[in-house]
Amino acid sequence: MSKPHSLAISKLSGGYGDVTVIRDVSLTVEPGKIVFVTGRNGVGKTTLIKLIAGQLAAQSGNILFGERDMRAEPPHARRAIGIGYAPQESVVFDDLSVRENLTLQYRDRDLARYEALFASFPRLRERRAQRAGTLSGGEKKILSFCRAVAEDTQLVMLDEPTEGVQPENIERMATHVATEAGKGRGFLIVEQNLGFAERLADHAHVLDHGACIFETPGGADLRARLAERLAL
Amino acid sequence: MELVALQGLNFVYISLTLALVALGLAVVFGLLGVMNMAHGEFVMLGAYSVLVVQNAGLPLLAALPLALAVCAAVGWLLEYFVIRHLYRRPFDTLLATWGLAILMREIVEAVFGRDYKSVNQSLPGTVEVFGAVYPAYRVVLMALMVAFFAGLFLWYRRSNTGARIKAMVSNPALATAVGVNTAVLARGAFIFGVCMAGLAGVALAPLVRVEPYMGIDYLLSSFFILVVGGLGSLVGLLVGSTVIGGSDAIVSAITSKTGGYMTVLVISILFLWLRPNGIVARD
Repeated sequence: MSKPHSLAISKLSGGYGDVTVIRDVSLTVEPGKIVFVTGRNGVGKTTLIKLIAGQLAAQSGNILFGERDMRAEPPHARRAIGIGYAPQESVVFDDLSVRENLTLQYRDRDLARYEALFASFPRLRERRAQRAGTLSGGEKKILSFCRAVAEDTQLVMLDEPTEGVQPENIERMATHVATEAGKGRGFLIVEQNLGFAERLADHAHVLDHGACIFETPGGADLRARLAERLAL
Repeated sequence: MELVALQGLNFVYISLTLALVALGLAVVFGLLGVMNMAHGEFVMLGAYSVLVVQNAGLPLLAALPLALAVCAAVGWLLEYFVIRHLYRRPFDTLLATWGLAILMREIVEAVFGRDYKSVNQSLPGTVEVFGAVYPAYRVVLMALMVAFFAGLFLWYRRSNTGARIKAMVSNPALATAVGVNTAVLARGAFIFGVCMAGLAGVALAPLVRVEPYMGIDYLLSSFFILVVGGLGSLVGLLVGSTVIGGSDAIVSAITSKTGGYMTVLVISILFLWLRPNGIVARD
């Protein structure tokens, strides 16, 4: 990894076609920081992540990664520049084996880069020859999580990584995120699991109707602070 | 015995060639979802490559690289300027490629003329296979085609590019998220598809009349093969080619060319009706 970059989005708006879902959202993810975005269903959290990943085109605003404007870059280029992304839905290639899912982007197809992750999630190693479509929803999420975390990107974006995942595996995910952040990687995580957010967040944003309505630093009572806002 | 062997060899040759045309269409239509109405015109370009090579007095196998180069170049132009703007707009693609097919036919007609050309049948060099005397050139092509299908089968199953193509087809958004440049991959697949049609044209040239309008038949046959064999597997492709090529050849020999067409059409309609996923359905 070269010199660390911050992700800085400012006054970002966008959505599907002419429909604007996200309005004037600004946030920053500095190297080594873990930033959470939370909010009720359908408020635009996934849309925000897709705009940053390049899966959707922004209507206005800026997406800066380091000095570089990402808005003109196609999604595969954003990944190459250093923005990794694990989506909320359709998280794996169902027709491919677990192994192919983990290695198709690498010329060497080496599973060695997953050693630490396999140690935490041994089921994945056991099932590497199996078709990914046969995994349970939670296992697919773990596969997708491992794929994104093992990439050499400076920023990792995870969209609801814990959805359907068993509590002990959520705990293991948290450990890996904390370790990677300790190495200087930034994380932007969309999550409804407030316990997961409280455990990891350096900073959290609450989204409602496509706008950022509240932001707060992390800390011991983060869950309570977020829950209070979400109940409004 | 000799006659049976000769007919058998011809049958294998035709089936393999048809499978090659249909392979191109299976990639372009089955994987990319592009309805390329100009697919047959690439068969025609391949056949004319043989003519050009023959007129220049070069060995016929030199037509293979020429056909590949011409089809790759035309395919690239087509994809870059037309097709890539129309992905996921099947009807627009159909109209655009139909227009391009007309253009390609007219250009070839302007250069080579409207009349039928035939490639010299009395090729030097024959080999004896099961008692039948057969042109060595065709035996070489058959061996090449079999080796090619086997190689392609293994490559698609095992290679990283094969995995990326499957990834792009099943989940294009995720493919881009893991860093696959789907635009380049799709262009490569399209060019590969039309090059297969061109190679098939080279193989067909000595057997059929070479003329600007020859492509349409092959476009139709390929669709019928995909209907019968099913999309998404090489085995289905070979089975489909055998069924379509075989029933056409047998019925045409017994009755007439029209009878052959009718049989193929009826078989295809029956498949669409009773088994729309073909013999070998995609898993």
